[in-house]
Amino acid sequence: MKDNYEINNYTYDMDRCIGCKGCVWVDHIYMPNVRFGVKCPSNAYKLFDAYAAMGREKIGLALLSGDLDYSPSLLDVIYMCQLCGACDAGCKRNLDLEPLAALESLRVKCVRDGQGPLPAHKKVAKNIAEKGNRYGAPAQNRLEWMTDDLRISQSADVVYFPGCAASYVEKEISQATAKILNRANINFVTLEKNDHCCGHPLVSVGLVDDAKEVAQKNIQALAKTGAKTILTSCAECYKTWMVDYPKLFSKSYEEMDYEVLHLVELVSNLINDGALSLTKGLEMRATYHDPCHLGRQGEPWTEWDGTRGRYGILTPKKSYRRGTNGVYQAPRDILAKTPGLDVVEMPRMRENAFCCGAGGGVSDAYPDFAMWSAAERLSEVQSVAAEAVVSACPYCKKIFRDASEENKMNIKVFDISEIILASL
Amino acid sequence: MGIPQEAYKAIEDIVGPEYITDDPVIARAYLGRLGHGKDTGIDLQMNLPPACVVLPRTTQEVQAIIKVAYRYKVNYVPASTFWISHCAAKRPNSILLDLKRMNDLEIDEENMYAVVGPGVIYSQLQEEAMKRGLYTTVPGGGAQVSVLANHINWGLSPLNYRNGIPGRRLMAAEWVLPNGELVKLGSLSLQNDPFHGEGPGPDLRGALRGWIGWFGAMGVVTKLSVKLFPFQTERLEPVGISPHTALQFPTNRMRWYNYRVPSREALVDVMYEIGKAEISAAVTKVPIQWRYIAKATCKEEFWEGYDSDEARSQIGNTHICRVLLVGYTSEEQLEYEERVLTDIMEAYGGKLGRTRQSDESWIKNADSAGMWWMTGAYTSVQVTVDTLDCGVKGGEAFAEAKKDYTPPLMDDYGEPGWFQVSELGHMGYLEFLNYWDPDDEDLEKKDIWVYITVPKLDIEFGLFNGFNIYTSPMNMTGKAFGPNCKDWFEKLKQTYDPARISNIPVPWDVDEFVEQVDFIKKDW
Repeated sequence: MKDNYEINNYTYDMDRCIGCKGCVWVDHIYMPNVRFGVKCPSNAYKLFDAYAAMGREKIGLALLSGDLDYSPSLLDVIYMCQLCGACDAGCKRNLDLEPLAALESLRVKCVRDGQGPLPAHKKVAKNIAEKGNRYGAPAQNRLEWMTDDLRISQSADVVYFPGCAASYVEKEISQATAKILNRANINFVTLEKNDHCCGHPLVSVGLVDDAKEVAQKNIQALAKTGAKTILTSCAECYKTWMVDYPKLFSKSYEEMDYEVLHLVELVSNLINDGALSLTKGLEMRATYHDPCHLGRQGEPWTEWDGTRGRYGILTPKKSYRRGTNGVYQAPRDILAKTPGLDVVEMPRMRENAFCCGAGGGVSDAYPDFAMWSAAERLSEVQSVAAEAVVSACPYCKKIFRDASEENKMNIKVFDISEIILASL
Repeated sequence: MGIPQEAYKAIEDIVGPEYITDDPVIARAYLGRLGHGKDTGIDLQMNLPPACVVLPRTTQEVQAIIKVAYRYKVNYVPASTFWISHCAAKRPNSILLDLKRMNDLEIDEENMYAVVGPGVIYSQLQEEAMKRGLYTTVPGGGAQVSVLANHINWGLSPLNYRNGIPGRRLMAAEWVLPNGELVKLGSLSLQNDPFHGEGPGPDLRGALRGWIGWFGAMGVVTKLSVKLFPFQTERLEPVGISPHTALQFPTNRMRWYNYRVPSREALVDVMYEIGKAEISAAVTKVPIQWRYIAKATCKEEFWEGYDSDEARSQIGNTHICRVLLVGYTSEEQLEYEERVLTDIMEAYGGKLGRTRQSDESWIKNADSAGMWWMTGAYTSVQVTVDTLDCGVKGGEAFAEAKKDYTPPLMDDYGEPGWFQVSELGHMGYLEFLNYWDPDDEDLEKKDIWVYITVPKLDIEFGLFNGFNIYTSPMNMTGKAFGPNCKDWFEKLKQTYDPARISNIPVPWDVDEFVEQVDFIKKDW
């Protein structure tokens, strides 16, 4: 079976980087100004080129060639990045290269060489192994979000998979999601006692063997329910089921025995079909933040195996994930149809969105950087005079709320499930 | 070894510890291996990681850093957006000045100019300019390049057809000389108002421009005012999701026209006629690769289409003239220019084809990075700014000569280069594009083509090739393009940088490279 995380599969991609900084700049067609011209949080925070994909790739090649050895700063360069994929979409506007896969695989190399992940990541991994969630919270508390007023079926075609954050910390998101499903008369079940972390914190720091075990268990748990649709309200879980699981098992998403759906896709369809109506007014000027894993990384994985020939031509042809077909429009359609909501776009949007800062193990290992990224994004919210930011991922919500409070920015932070529920 | 500790400490005191590093991991990111010149001999054999990287914010900081470098005789390399392999250290123990923090941008709307620091890129300036009904000419070098550096380096763009070469549009400047002294050019020398480039006060723009810029070998320009032009007033709406993003044209004010004409001669003639009529915003030939690139969604699809008899046959039989008309002042201007264009094309047998009324790569974006897409390596060896006839003749000669170097160069079926008319027909412009596989075993042959054969052809045909400054030995071309410009470069360098610390050995890096390698015969 092909190892999609083997760094030597990506030396071509790293070597062919030409330094155009498509990985850093907002797509020039959408370039808003100097202030918000950079979309890579890592390179906006640490200005040296080493903290952009273009620099990391040169450093990665030097590590492979033996010109550089492991050091604390090398691990910093590799791990001080949310893996938000802004670099990937930017690079692939012009070139057929895989910078994000290379960055992910560099972390896997660190792990395989006994150098990674970082201590904070190991703690999270231990929590997942022992308690089934990233926080180390008691496993038996995982289902506490399921209050008595929610109708959860005994069997259904849809499994709602809330993920760690909406199970333990942002319970209002899982509860809102369940209520929306109830209002739409969509029967759903959960994985109940088998409900578990999706494994994304493991994949993202390079612990792919551990992630594979988690994936196997989750897929088996889903199979036991007999359902074929896994519904998430978490962008991270969404991407994990749609991209990481097939990638871990060297399959295409189409070959997996399930379909993944984010709440926004479902609700948008329900509204279009007339099965759900947003009727209550929410008088507010708001902006939508594209979660990285729902937007530019929300395209299914297509497995490729073959050879590279002259001029780098691949046989067979490869289907690239360029960020084109992520889930961008559904949440916008929902917000546009929410009465009273004055929706305004931020300068960096869709595939050019600036990450909230929480992903890629950054909030665990580099909390200051994570918080800085969130504050930077919130300053963009302020720049369009929005009083609220709406996202579709509990991790975005948490870090935005924390950053707004810490920096006294007075910005309201919502998950889109809350907006939908309030408008029903 | 690195730079002297005292020098490092002094620079750290200037910029603060956050903006300086001598960590070899961080420095590795500045190895070179980028932009124009990537995978040529100089890039592969001369470029080194710097010993120290510094991120200054102000002119005063740049001055202070350079004075430290001067005191300790440490070579330094300034670079803004790193889009050329010249801007990487070629001497051990160099300081690299990464100027990205110097990104101040001001626009004087009334007087139609912008003041930029070296960290401002074209798409940023263009967006701000267009908001004010103004525009600049985004260059073929790409929307991601530094406005300041690119203006000094000619600033070649299809849009120069109407507005001339940006190298002529340098205005007032702040220039930190190689020894750290600050010179203010033009009106900045008298007052804090950069509206004018000529006197009163020193006007050293000729020295600053050199042949086609100095690539950091003459200190650092930290501030430059550049001219902007009035644009039509309708908004160009950005549409699409990457990689299919574009600016939608307001077709009442802007339109593309792709005309197929019967022959290369007709193509040249219509370009001259358009120039004579003083219509249009840009006029260019469409190389056939562009058409296959536009149709493909990945490299493999490109090759499926391009590696075909149909593509081969198009070289001699397909001649497409792409014209951009802009109603700068009114819709009526566009209508008038369209009528004139139609008359010209009818006279020469031009047939109008289909084209999208949007812009992907001329107005605000420019996809220079896409040039590497087909084969993984690319360089342009020719920017002839001469008469159009001269450019076309030269291009045909290059195409013939290139056959001996194909492979390792990609077979482009005798394509005689991308040419366009410039400056309303008073000038022509030729670029000769070269693609190859960096994994090819015979890359020395490619270096001979780039560094030796092309400049020899330039000399033979009398082509004024801007790229000769960094793709030819100055000992060869400097003697030929007289009065001996190598001597003049030498005198200027000696005057401004007697300590020889500003990006050594540029602009003589090709000379040094050819001396070092055995496979190049030094017969000039």
